[in-house]
Amino acid sequence: MISPDIKQIKIGLVSCGIAAGGEAVYEKLVAAAGNIPVIKVGCLGHCYAEPLVEAVLNDGSSIFYGNVPGKDEAIENILSLGEAGRFSVPEKRREKECVKVLAFAGRIDPTSFEDYVSGGGYDGLKKALTMPPEAVIEEVKISGLRGRGGGGFSTGMKWSFLAAKDSAEKVIVCNADEGDPGAFMDRSLMESVPHQVLEGMLIAAYATCAAKLIIYCRAEYPMAIANLNIAIDQIKANKLNIIDGREIDIYIKEGAGAFVCGEETALIASLEGQRGMPRFRPPFPTDSGYMGKPTMINNVETFGNIPLILREGGAEFAKVGTEGGRGTKIFALAGDLEYPGLVEVPMGTTISEIVFDIGGADPEKVKAVQTGGPSGGCIPKAMFDTPVDYDSLRSLGAIMGSGGMIVIGNDRCMVETARYFLDFTHRESCGKCTFCRVGTTRMFEILERIVAGKGKVEDLDTLEELGSKVKAGSLCGLGQTAPNPVLATLRYYRDEYLEHVNEKSCRAAQCNALVDIVLDQSKCVKCKLCIKSCPVEAVSADFIIDPDKCTRCNSCVDICPKHAIARIPKGENK
Amino acid sequence: MQEEFSFLSKIGQEPGNLIKGLQAIQAAYGYVSDDAIRAAAEYFGRPEADVEGVISFYAQFKRVKPGKFKIAVCDGTACHLKGAPLIHTWINQELGINPGETSEDGLFSLETVACLGCCSLAPVMSVNGKVHAKLDRRTMMKILKEYAAK
Amino acid sequence: MSIEFFLDGKAVSAEPGQTIMDAAKANGIVIPGLCGDPRISKTTSCFVCVVKDKKTGKFLPSCSARPAPGQEIEVTTPEVLDMRRTALELLLSEHTGDCEAPCTIACPAHAQVEEYVRLIANGEFEKGLAVIKERIPMPMSVGRVSPRFCEKQCRRNIDGKPVAINEFKRLAADLCYDSFMEEIPADCGKKVAVVGGGPAGLAAAYYLRLQGVAVTVFDAQDDFGGMTRYGIPEYRLPKAILSKEVAHFAQMGIELVPGKKLGENLDLAELKAAYDAVVIAIGCWKASGLRCEGEELATPGIEFLHSVAVNNNTGKNPGRTLVIGGGNTAMDCVRTSVRLGSSDVTCIYRRTEAEMPAEKIEIAEAKEEGVKFQFLTAPVKLEKRGTKLILTCLKMELGEPDASGRRKPVAVPGSEFEIEADTVISAIGQGTDAPAGVPVDRYGNLAVKAENTTRVEDKIYAAGDCAYGARTVVEALASGRLAALEIAEDILNKAMPAENSIFISRGSWQEMSQDEVVVLRNDLSSEPRVELKFIPLEERKNSFKEVCATITPEEAASEGKRCIECSCSDKSDCKLRKFADEAGCRKNAYAGERQLASYDLRHPDIVQDRGKCIKCTVCVKVCKEVVNQSLLSLQKRGFQANIGTAFNQGLPLSCKDCGACIESCPTGALDWRKKR
Repeated sequence: MISPDIKQIKIGLVSCGIAAGGEAVYEKLVAAAGNIPVIKVGCLGHCYAEPLVEAVLNDGSSIFYGNVPGKDEAIENILSLGEAGRFSVPEKRREKECVKVLAFAGRIDPTSFEDYVSGGGYDGLKKALTMPPEAVIEEVKISGLRGRGGGGFSTGMKWSFLAAKDSAEKVIVCNADEGDPGAFMDRSLMESVPHQVLEGMLIAAYATCAAKLIIYCRAEYPMAIANLNIAIDQIKANKLNIIDGREIDIYIKEGAGAFVCGEETALIASLEGQRGMPRFRPPFPTDSGYMGKPTMINNVETFGNIPLILREGGAEFAKVGTEGGRGTKIFALAGDLEYPGLVEVPMGTTISEIVFDIGGADPEKVKAVQTGGPSGGCIPKAMFDTPVDYDSLRSLGAIMGSGGMIVIGNDRCMVETARYFLDFTHRESCGKCTFCRVGTTRMFEILERIVAGKGKVEDLDTLEELGSKVKAGSLCGLGQTAPNPVLATLRYYRDEYLEHVNEKSCRAAQCNALVDIVLDQSKCVKCKLCIKSCPVEAVSADFIIDPDKCTRCNSCVDICPKHAIARIPKGENK
Repeated sequence: MQEEFSFLSKIGQEPGNLIKGLQAIQAAYGYVSDDAIRAAAEYFGRPEADVEGVISFYAQFKRVKPGKFKIAVCDGTACHLKGAPLIHTWINQELGINPGETSEDGLFSLETVACLGCCSLAPVMSVNGKVHAKLDRRTMMKILKEYAAK
Repeated sequence: MSIEFFLDGKAVSAEPGQTIMDAAKANGIVIPGLCGDPRISKTTSCFVCVVKDKKTGKFLPSCSARPAPGQEIEVTTPEVLDMRRTALELLLSEHTGDCEAPCTIACPAHAQVEEYVRLIANGEFEKGLAVIKERIPMPMSVGRVSPRFCEKQCRRNIDGKPVAINEFKRLAADLCYDSFMEEIPADCGKKVAVVGGGPAGLAAAYYLRLQGVAVTVFDAQDDFGGMTRYGIPEYRLPKAILSKEVAHFAQMGIELVPGKKLGENLDLAELKAAYDAVVIAIGCWKASGLRCEGEELATPGIEFLHSVAVNNNTGKNPGRTLVIGGGNTAMDCVRTSVRLGSSDVTCIYRRTEAEMPAEKIEIAEAKEEGVKFQFLTAPVKLEKRGTKLILTCLKMELGEPDASGRRKPVAVPGSEFEIEADTVISAIGQGTDAPAGVPVDRYGNLAVKAENTTRVEDKIYAAGDCAYGARTVVEALASGRLAALEIAEDILNKAMPAENSIFISRGSWQEMSQDEVVVLRNDLSSEPRVELKFIPLEERKNSFKEVCATITPEEAASEGKRCIECSCSDKSDCKLRKFADEAGCRKNAYAGERQLASYDLRHPDIVQDRGKCIKCTVCVKVCKEVVNQSLLSLQKRGFQANIGTAFNQGLPLSCKDCGACIESCPTGALDWRKKR
């Protein structure tokens, strides 16, 4: 029975929705919905609730259904506007979030030009074209917008540098090489509202008189590339790429998998078909960039903000946020919390508001938060009152980064966390400069030793000394920030390091070499699941775990129905 | 240019399009062979050594022909904690291959990937894109045997 | 318009476009860098050239950064030097190779073994001798008596016997000792007294003389050479040979004054007053007692050898002889006893043969000459019964290892037994008879201020055995040389050469497999080691004639081909080593994984060694931008980055005619295979 109140049905079907099994739900909805249009939309940011279906009613209101299984009952329930499985945005999140940049996301069909335009899309560009280019740049300056890719440089200033160049071949690059593990703001924006990013770029092209727009996008984001390409074709079909009578060249170049290509000069090298290795600046890209042409690089989210600034005016835009950062910021929440996903909040929102109120993390179970991914640092819970903006985070030894925010629970080992991040960065080092190539490797090796129980107290000093030198002596941002997770954890969680090296103990029971797996005989019901699950036959017939055979793979811990088997820090079993 | 790489001619010949060309080759054959390097070097006017340098820089490009079954073991945070390194050990014991290698019979190739997005089902791997979750040694061996028999 | 800025506070100007490094150079400040070459675009890789912008606190690669007007650049502040040192130490941590061959590292004097072996094998004896004498001023003596530290570390040990290195010294010295004369600079006006004319004293005198210092050597004995004359028997080192070496020192203008003993007819205070410096090199002439009842009845080994030496290698037949001790002095005593006519000589040692400190060859030759050995035996009492001496001994067994790592002998209770003898010689050690007024350490040796120095106090230096206990001739020579260098530093203000402080080594052969041994030469010989020619055994036992002959030039030519030539082909102009030396880099400051040493020897003339490569990519750019070939590229990334060729096919033969990459490589990662 299909409710007559339903006007249309929307289902989030970009990467996250698909990964959660949304395609099966979509097919069933299409099959069952009859005449009611079922529209694929982008991401609303509620990843924890995917697949997420919105039933739009004739009166304009909506009813959401979350975690929709691909089963007929669930589809019937939606179509009949049943009570089961209804989803509403958690109250606290609704209070704190401030959806501006993501206003279109999850609400329109990303592949529909009309959807974007009818919601006010390209009004920003239209308005810009009525202004002199200098006035557009001035508006961006007034907005106080700073680069959303992590550096936080004034966008208006950057634009004015390019505008000042006398060249007919200026290039603007959109950096869509989002490589931080755990960050997916840019992907979501490109997949959900590709036109918004392109509109920002076109406005920039007008303001700076650029001739070429390139989007450098990770090849790992096929849907973002597909949606952007559709949007580019639509732009060309609607001649929006003809500005002041100039036809702006606009295309996508796919990255080929190298984190360091997020770095301006490396990105340019990669665009030129070279190894993505950074070079010394100056010359800055605005002087000599892609193919030697004046080039400006902005991040996806930065461009995403531009139409907004033009639509509502820089001054209005600047009303949101703080001295340390204007406007809103999109964060990707992940880790030990209830509601992982995307959220857009005003700059200056505190970490605790983001993590606890919006993310739903349990304050009792959270130890810290990592911002800025592998380039950032951890912020301990005691400092969660810090407002999130560029300057406040930097003062804590962390960085805003592109907006990844990983919540670290009490049961995570901070040494292992640092090791994990450095494992990533040292492998992503391009290998050009000594401090990064060798320095990060040596730091990683020390951390490997520490988590393996072979560390020495002196290692901590070496890490600090070498870490600060790698920061100071590396050529590009990768090396200059790679030691951050290590230095920050050493600063705030030195006691955990000391336990690893002195007592050979990991309080979080995470570092395999410093952990024992023990079976509590009093809880054991002798079901033998542990014996069957053990890959190395470390559990004896009388349920005793041989610590020498055991690889700490956790198979038995996970399978035990009575929770009789536990990981405990080595030495605590006495 | 050799017939098998004639599709390169759809791409602009400027040297800066090398990566695009290599991506096309990778998409067509699953790897970049010596012949492909020669073809790309000639077409884009780049020295062969240079092309090798570019290929080996980017994670996307493979230099060995992938197996009939492409195993991708997830080493994201969750899978790493749940024993992804062990999966590598098991595969190595069974098939004798390390990440980046293809078994001698050409059946299996192995690579490590950052995250397959199935963290709640860790540890996972995919074979030709199909995800196999909650692996332990026994299921792992069973899966490999099933594919080998296909 | 030039740019005015500051280097270490000094106002300087730079031409537009000049980098900080160029501008510094123009102002006489050389900033080291490994990755630059004026012919190519910037690599900005090594970061050895870092300087600091005082205002921003940022470190900049001076090879690439251009000065801004008014910028204050720090070049030599401790912080900058520390960053530079760290950059070098990080590079060293991924660098493998042999800055020096293991033989040179093992040599206490760090002689350039590979070089002199090659010269001598090629028949260039005098050049070879010159190389030897840079470190070993008594090559005829050392060429005969050295325990061959070098040969023990020779990598030929992996597949057989070591190169007969010491024989090369002996050959070159024997052939051209008379014709070779050092160039002595004009007198510098300084004078130094050396007390003790043994190898340490003579070496100190030699190297001071080479600096133009006037040197006087005093010795308590009638003739010079110290223990080499009075402790080492004629059959190992003929006195005539030694005298030739002593005469050479005199010819160099070194004044030799015999019969002067400190505290008797020589006064330290007077010497101090009369000379700019005094080297004390009086050796270890005090024999240790047996530390048992009746020890005074035993003849001290050095006295025994001394008396034979001063009596022109004669002496009375010692009859049935017991020599107590297991060192080289004990071997000299047993073999001398044989030559004096004794047919019954026994060496008594409290541990087993494996623990004997004496050279294996000495033990073997003693055995050949009929000497008996009684191991695990310790004396407890010596007494006289009539004309005979009775030595009471205890049987020992080996217990736990002691501080020296050797298993400690433990007495077996109730195992006493007696041995009858005519002569008992104690050769269990020697100590220093320190002169009054000089500080001594807890072993009774002269107290030097620290390890690896000969400085004792103002103007006083101690070298050789008296500074560290009885050791070998070559160690004494090295110690004497160190004294000379330190004196030159102190009185002539000459900087100590920063030589040999960096010893990156692939390791000792004991830890290596044959595959890891790198052979650059194409003509390595697989012949066995040269056999030494001994005089007949009967002649050995009945005379003090030298036991074996010097090898022939032909033998040397063939033996030289056995040398692997382990040391780095680029050791003389490796910039990494030079800068690391200058920066005072610590060895293994950041230990860790190294890229597997993968030598590429496919090219007949060129070697490529990834283990030595510091990934500066100068070679890549030279080949691409200068030679216009692009045969090389940087491959992979991060720590695994390395320089490679397309399809790993190696360099083509035609590269032999170019070599531009080789000339530009800052280390030996790309080099000609043939050493000059």
